[in-house]
Amino acid sequence: MVTLNVNGVRREVKAPDDTPLLYVLRNDLELIGPQFGCGLAQCGACAVLVDGKETRSCVVPVASVANQEITTLEGLPARWAKQKGLSADEAKSTLHPVQQAWIEEQTPQCGFCQNGMMIKATELLESNAHPTLAQIKEAFTTSGVSPNLCRCGTYVAIIDAVQHAATIMAKGR
Amino acid sequence: MATMGGTIKREKPGNVFVPTLSRRQFIKAGGILVVGFSLAGPELLKGDSAKATTLKNTLDPTLPGSWIEIHPDNTILIRTGKSDFGQGSTFTAYRQIVAEELSVPFEAITTVVSGDTDRTPDGSGAFDFLGHGTPNIRKAAAYTHQALLDLASGRLGVAKDKLSVKDGIVSGGGKSISYGDLVKNQQLTLTIPVKGDLTSIMGLTVEGNPPMKPVSEYTIIGKSFKNSVIRSKVAAKETWATDVRLPGMLHARVVHPKTLGSTLVSAGAVDKTKFPNSQVIVKGNLVGVVAPTEWEAIQAAEQVAGATKWTEWKGLPGNAKLYQHLREEADWTTAPVTKGDGNKGDAGPVLASAHKKLSATYQLSYMKHAPIGPTMAVADVKPDGTVHIHTHNQNLQALRGEIATMLRTTPDHVVVHSYPGPGHYGRSNGGNAGAEDEAVLLSQAVGKPVRVQWMRADDMQWSTQASVSYSDVQLALDEKGKMAAYQIDHYMPAMQDDRPIGAVIAGLPTMPAPQVKSDSVTSTVNGIEDPWIYAPVPNVMEQGHGTFQVGQKASPLAVGLRDHSMRTPGQFQQNYPRELAISEAAALAGADAIQFRIDHTSEERAIGVLKAVRDASGWDARPSPRPDAVSTGSMPVRGRGVSLMLRSGTYWACVCQIAVTPSTGAIAVEKYAIAVDPGIVVNPVQLKRNVEGGAVMGISHALFEEVMFDESGITTEDWISYPIPTMADIPEIKVVLLHNPKVGSYGGGSEAANALAAPAIAAALHDATGKIMRRLPMKPAYVQAVLKT
Repeated sequence: MVTLNVNGVRREVKAPDDTPLLYVLRNDLELIGPQFGCGLAQCGACAVLVDGKETRSCVVPVASVANQEITTLEGLPARWAKQKGLSADEAKSTLHPVQQAWIEEQTPQCGFCQNGMMIKATELLESNAHPTLAQIKEAFTTSGVSPNLCRCGTYVAIIDAVQHAATIMAKGR
Repeated sequence: MATMGGTIKREKPGNVFVPTLSRRQFIKAGGILVVGFSLAGPELLKGDSAKATTLKNTLDPTLPGSWIEIHPDNTILIRTGKSDFGQGSTFTAYRQIVAEELSVPFEAITTVVSGDTDRTPDGSGAFDFLGHGTPNIRKAAAYTHQALLDLASGRLGVAKDKLSVKDGIVSGGGKSISYGDLVKNQQLTLTIPVKGDLTSIMGLTVEGNPPMKPVSEYTIIGKSFKNSVIRSKVAAKETWATDVRLPGMLHARVVHPKTLGSTLVSAGAVDKTKFPNSQVIVKGNLVGVVAPTEWEAIQAAEQVAGATKWTEWKGLPGNAKLYQHLREEADWTTAPVTKGDGNKGDAGPVLASAHKKLSATYQLSYMKHAPIGPTMAVADVKPDGTVHIHTHNQNLQALRGEIATMLRTTPDHVVVHSYPGPGHYGRSNGGNAGAEDEAVLLSQAVGKPVRVQWMRADDMQWSTQASVSYSDVQLALDEKGKMAAYQIDHYMPAMQDDRPIGAVIAGLPTMPAPQVKSDSVTSTVNGIEDPWIYAPVPNVMEQGHGTFQVGQKASPLAVGLRDHSMRTPGQFQQNYPRELAISEAAALAGADAIQFRIDHTSEERAIGVLKAVRDASGWDARPSPRPDAVSTGSMPVRGRGVSLMLRSGTYWACVCQIAVTPSTGAIAVEKYAIAVDPGIVVNPVQLKRNVEGGAVMGISHALFEEVMFDESGITTEDWISYPIPTMADIPEIKVVLLHNPKVGSYGGGSEAANALAAPAIAAALHDATGKIMRRLPMKPAYVQAVLKT
């Protein structure tokens, strides 16, 4: 039995300690934002935030993240609402600025990798409110255990969306 | 996004059919106009009983197997057999097209139904969404518009030709009525003519020539609308295929054979001390492991794989001997040689007495579709033999037929539900992506729903690939530096194998392996896919040579290196050698590569995209290589190249500016400009995003992608051994959309972009270094070797 703190909620799971976090999130907790892309921490499709750091859930044993703060794609709106002190009603009707920007810029093609891209963007923008183009490329290429890969080639649209999200976040809404 | 094979030609429009509108009954509340279809012509009689049964489901208009519903509240529902693979066309362009033909607001089309063989009308693959300007949904909408006008004429007592429609309100003679009011309290069924085979790769086609709205009156097509599915994906509200969980479902992994020719000696047993709830299923040479949890299935499959014994097999040439094998050992004699539509004159004598001549061979490697998520499927085989498959697939009706064949049953026993998933770029347009058939066999064996998820290595090693090819070019210049003769011979193994791999491994019935005589794209015949754009060249000879897939005949499993059409299929393999050769010819003539192309074409739209890309890239007109070109040293040297293509009614040109470091052979694309003339631009924002993505994939094909294999099988297994670009690899990308309404139609906008970079980058390498590289991919080690010559 492992106790997890996911998207601000304590969850008890029965999975063996060595189960990769991804399978617990998807199969036991029905959090479907993270996707299985490689199982090898090579692509980023499965990324979640663990204590604010972009982490590949496909290779992290569930027991190793017990009691740490896990945020999945589903938890981004609440994360933003908490950071900005939004009311419960406001929080319900909002998306994280990164998600808003991904829609405004029409970033995804198939969208399968975009969970990881949005998690990476959130990690970046929480530490650097106005990243340069070079810093964005660095974040998505060398800052993690591997580059965040997109097979549809949406990198231009991702850069546009990160810059757009930075603008929304600067306005505070 | 991807892809159809080239041997299929669209049916020419037939006679004008008169659609029939019937009033089933007067109903007190609600009301609806349902557009269904009937089969036109001899197809009705030709169909076997299986097909007839399948079609019977959708012929009943009380079932939702229909195209368009007009509701009394003025909302509209559309249905399409096409599944979205990231192009977004079903959620954007299809809504725009229907809204335009019906003269209703975009927002009136509130529902798009797709992805279900029982709830969509037309089948076919997720390619050619815009149907050369007339997709099925456009004709269905046009018929519907006429029927609504007829209804309005009767209700208002105004002649049809005196009526006009705006925002769903029909007006004339001082009177008006909304579409919703026209259908209120009635159940109306419009029957329209269709033709074709539902479970074939092309599916059904709407026939006839209903009057369509003149382009000059378009108000919706040409504007940017958002793709509605993006919001639900971004907000984690979408149900992906990967999310399907059925009651009692088991998780499975498949232990694929050791080589592409291995047969099973003995399946390993599960170590019950470690994996008490797992079991091994064996069907022919197919070994599956099922367990209640995913993690147990993964671990147990790994343990079983280690204990399973296979025969050894070596029957592939391996990478090092691939092109030698193709030239010297492959049998190119069984498939008839195909000829280009632009062939003319007599190239032979002109080539023999050329003033200047180019003679060269160009090679493209095998490439993977490499979806970012490995293939998976959930199957539920019911006790009565009914099969439900939950998957992510480009051609649901074709999969339905293939599973029926495998199970020796009829398609009406199979229902396929498709959900969003990773892009396939053509891999499943023939009906299977892998895993679906395996899930069915395992579900059948255990009597429960089974979810098969391929691991990354399964996906790299047991899926199909874009076919290898090589081309021999001979080209003659006259004294004035003009092309006097052009001859190209394309050699490519069969590019589409639609057999489900699990069924093949299990030894169950499938369609035949690629052969010469085939009524589908699975033939070994290599058609000419790349339309000739340089009409003023007086002597042209383009020929296509086909053969069987490498290893297909030698493998006891009859698999070998299976190919499948991939984004711009066949045409990429033919356009790369052509466009690089044209750039070389320009250099040989001492001419600027863009001006040389302009001087050799009479096609206004080709010239238009070339000029647009010349302006957008800041191209300075001069011959290649650049005067200070160098092929040694550790300082980057820069160059630029161009390429040109016509595909699906759309003209494309791109310019790549690169920096290459001769000592390492590393190429960086620094700037990329692309111009697109599709005729009418349906949705500028969506087209721009599609083109940007295609451009990046093109750079990937050009620089990185090569399937590695040895004598036994594919050794490429992950993103390290099969690299694709990272964000750091992408250049500044400029997209120029040329909205050209006088063309009167809209061409495709997603394919082609991925094919343009390779010949432009190769020409840029020549420009920078003076050395020609005629092989893809342009990996550093291969570039280094060329620069040393």
